[in-house]
Amino acid sequence: MPHHKTASLATAAAVVTVLAACTTGGGTDATSSQPKPSGKVGDTLTVAYSSVPQTLDPAKTVQNNSLYQALAYEPLIVRRSDGTLAPGLATSWHYGGSDNTQLELQLRPGVKFADGSALTAQDVVDHFTYVVKAGGQFAPLFAGDGFTAAGPLTVVIKTPKPNPDLPTLLTQDDVVGGIISPLGLTNKAKLGTQTFGAGPYKLDPAQTVAGDHYTFVQNPNFYDKASVHWTKVVVRAITSAQATLNAMKTGQVQFAVGDASTLAAARQAGLTVSMTPLLWTGVTLADRDGTMAKPLTDVRVRQALNYATDRTAIATALFPDDGKPTSQLTVPGGYGYDASLDDAYPYDVTKAKQLLAAAGYPDGFTLKTVTAEYQSMNLVAQALAQQWKKVGVTLQIVDRANSNQYFSEAFGPKYPTFMTIFGQQPIWTEGPSLFLPTALFNPFHTKNAQLQSLYDQAAKATDAAKERADQQVEAWLVHQAWFVPVVATGLPYYATKKITGMAVSPKAPLASIYEVQPAA
Amino acid sequence: MIRATARWFASSVVLLFAVTVLTFLLSALAPGDAAKAMLSGQTTAYSPEQYHQLRHNLGLDQPLPVQYWHWLYRLLHGSLGTDLFSGQPITQAINSRLGASLSIIVGTVLVSAVVGLGIGIFSAVRGGLAGKLVNGLSLLGLAAPNFWLALVLVAWLAVQHQVFPATGYVPFGDDPVQWLRSLALPVITLSVGGSAFIARQTRDAMAEVLGRDFIVALRAHGLPLRSIVFKHALRNAAIPIVTLLGLMFVSLLGGTVLIEGIFAIPGLGQQAVTASSTHNLPMIEGVAFYFTVVVIVVNLLVDLSYRWLNPTVRPI
Repeated sequence: MPHHKTASLATAAAVVTVLAACTTGGGTDATSSQPKPSGKVGDTLTVAYSSVPQTLDPAKTVQNNSLYQALAYEPLIVRRSDGTLAPGLATSWHYGGSDNTQLELQLRPGVKFADGSALTAQDVVDHFTYVVKAGGQFAPLFAGDGFTAAGPLTVVIKTPKPNPDLPTLLTQDDVVGGIISPLGLTNKAKLGTQTFGAGPYKLDPAQTVAGDHYTFVQNPNFYDKASVHWTKVVVRAITSAQATLNAMKTGQVQFAVGDASTLAAARQAGLTVSMTPLLWTGVTLADRDGTMAKPLTDVRVRQALNYATDRTAIATALFPDDGKPTSQLTVPGGYGYDASLDDAYPYDVTKAKQLLAAAGYPDGFTLKTVTAEYQSMNLVAQALAQQWKKVGVTLQIVDRANSNQYFSEAFGPKYPTFMTIFGQQPIWTEGPSLFLPTALFNPFHTKNAQLQSLYDQAAKATDAAKERADQQVEAWLVHQAWFVPVVATGLPYYATKKITGMAVSPKAPLASIYEVQPAA
Repeated sequence: MIRATARWFASSVVLLFAVTVLTFLLSALAPGDAAKAMLSGQTTAYSPEQYHQLRHNLGLDQPLPVQYWHWLYRLLHGSLGTDLFSGQPITQAINSRLGASLSIIVGTVLVSAVVGLGIGIFSAVRGGLAGKLVNGLSLLGLAAPNFWLALVLVAWLAVQHQVFPATGYVPFGDDPVQWLRSLALPVITLSVGGSAFIARQTRDAMAEVLGRDFIVALRAHGLPLRSIVFKHALRNAAIPIVTLLGLMFVSLLGGTVLIEGIFAIPGLGQQAVTASSTHNLPMIEGVAFYFTVVVIVVNLLVDLSYRWLNPTVRPI
């Protein structure tokens, strides 16, 4: 069963990145969600996180704040760092029927929230009812779903369309998998500043300054105390990558989400660095119907732009520490990855010119794009402008320092193309966010029956057939050149030698806070 | 005195009203709104209905004067409203950051005043090579970008020698010693330029006063130099310096954003930037209100100091 994660990066109105991980099993009856607990309990773990949470409400938060919720809201299903799914509040789960439209979960008996109330199936139903109504970023993923308490500890979720990734939506990665207590749901105004979960920790508001640091202390009611590794966890919101690195170097922080700009320095300072490819940076050739840029209607033109891109040169120059050239919308080991597509568009100016000539643009054309000044996206745009000049294409770049303006104009849509950073993710969630007609990253609402059909097949498929179906969707997108992916990068995590357990994998590229333990 | 106080109070209220109206208007005229900022986190495109519903829920669909009146009404009843995103009371959110901001600003102004006055007086009294040296150092202090200085100080005093913490702020109530240590680097960073500025102003003002006839007369009467400088000359030269210190205080209110970021300090500058980028209007208005109150208080203190330094100055 697949598992996915959505992450919004950049600013509050973040670039959407959805990550993925999968497992082949349904639930097991393991008693602990934490793999290999050391039994050692450290005093205080201080974590640096690059984003400032606008709210602690799981239903309204953006994904890149997930750590703030993950500590306090135990999810129904836990995603481990190797990508597998493990029991959380649910001890087992399985799909009924064969079309991935009905999931049944068995809840763990005897679980209590931090406020002392007992977990019931009705609490889970009420929680998701609130999630959908709150209209946060995850609400669309559950819209139309039916939630039923089929027994005191049995929950059934019915989806209107096949959803092969439902279990992954119920993990800590997607935030809303962490269940809010009935007390929290009756005090919704407090959800933004307090926590009402059943997780290993609970927020201590007296030791918290919103926007700066959040102190979590142990939850005395947590069902699996043996897996709690710290007396206290302090999450500091440090937006400056350099300040994060300095805090780690001086021992103020033991674990942090890093940044490409400090990666080399972190390694030089002797910090443990973990990362795996996660995001692709490139161009969304959005106006495939030719509303603003007629040349983009021709697949040969879109392919020509891919051939005219020297990915290796850009990766080497702009992302020397972690950049990998890529022609795909996924990363090695990720969903739908096909090694044979790695070199789908080798740098070939001659071929690009031939394709442009065949499409009726032997002298090239002018194309506009909008970019934000985030994660070197604007620098990639400038490099592409230089490279595409060689085939006669003039790329006019509109550089927006204000990322909100970039989002507004890219998704407006005000330009036929826009620079993009996007995270690899399961096809089921990639479609509605990246390429289906309602997707945010498809602002011209381009429709294609063949793509829709491939997507539908992938949604129904299971096990090995699913992997192949995923690859077919990705291959279609690569061959039809709806995008110009350029380089794949990862999200680095830093740790001092005082901790262990920080791990990531291709299908779980975001580290799990649950597994971070004191070093022996 | 009563009339003067009443006049000051009335002008302060007008200033507060004007600033909050202007802030409200400018924020409302900026492209985008809080509803868009909230919905932009969604992975799928949001519908116009969703957007309009959220605008309605947040009260953003009401006419601007009505929105402002609601804010003003709450203010008159002792509330600045709540954060649109977290629901946290604005007063609580701002108060939790006010200590850090004021500590940095007051610390910077004090250090700048002491160091700047010392250097400026020394330069004015000694003149010659010492004066030129002070001139050079002042220029250096003014030219050094504070973000660069901050990074150098962190690398040297925090990372390499671990004398001061690299990041963070410890409230005075938690631990006075750690409070002082957490303020050291940001205050030093901001004080370098501030001290240089005060030093130049002090030197010029003192040089001018020291050349006046009454100083010559005092010297002729055989008064010790220390008494002439600190008792007579400095008092006469102090008004422009105090004015400058007041301006420095006010400019630091919004000028510490970069330093707050580098040292990861929870100050009001960062709060204001975050609120502006997300169109969090109650928070923007709250920060503007606090800033204006601080400006009014600082101006009052500066005015009072004028009277103390020179009793011939008209009452406020």
